[in-house]
Amino acid sequence: MGIFGKLFKGPEVDMEKSRANAEKMRVLFDQVVENGDRYRLIFGYTEDVSRFNYGLVHGSKTKIGDLIVGWNEEDQTIVVVPTVPDLSGCGDPTYYRRDQILKAYRNKYPTEAFIIYPDKSGYIGINAYDWLDDESLYVYVSQEEELAAFTDFFMKRFVKK
Amino acid sequence: MLSGLGVFLLALVAIFIVGNLWFHLVESVLSRIKKLFSRGGEPNTWHPFPPEDEAENKE
Repeated sequence: MGIFGKLFKGPEVDMEKSRANAEKMRVLFDQVVENGDRYRLIFGYTEDVSRFNYGLVHGSKTKIGDLIVGWNEEDQTIVVVPTVPDLSGCGDPTYYRRDQILKAYRNKYPTEAFIIYPDKSGYIGINAYDWLDDESLYVYVSQEEELAAFTDFFMKRFVKK
Repeated sequence: MLSGLGVFLLALVAIFIVGNLWFHLVESVLSRIKKLFSRGGEPNTWHPFPPEDEAENKE
């Protein structure tokens, strides 16, 4: 492939780094979730957007929260574990069992986030993509196949209205 | 004509800078107020990644 071919091809995924991070995600997840090996995993993130509008001046500030998202098809359960881009640690897991949540659906705008309302008082919006290049904000992991499986599970077995 | 345009652009830049400063000031005050109210709650637990030999043994 010539120089121009490489230029137009765009960034390529470092699969070795991606695999290493996928393994680290698994170690962290299994560390805090009981029977963690029964869950399949993807990386996701939440966005906390603050907006301001002072007439002529308006804009927004976005805070990203990285998540390890596990799902178990049998139990119809999604587990969310907060983490950081370098996977140096993680927080406590939050469980969303389908029979205990208020509703769940997939957003269409502004992002195709997976929305879960555990109750009326709050919700979580999980964004997930095949691969995100910015290692300062996101976990470097390629997850095309896993994301497709998660989307299928969420849309066919977890959605609740 | 050109100087008028320059003044207008400078004014826009000034409004942008002041707006951003004001936004960050309001956000920092709000986050401090939130911290004050959340002091009573349980602290978030953080689990560091286990040392490598421990992680390997688990696998």
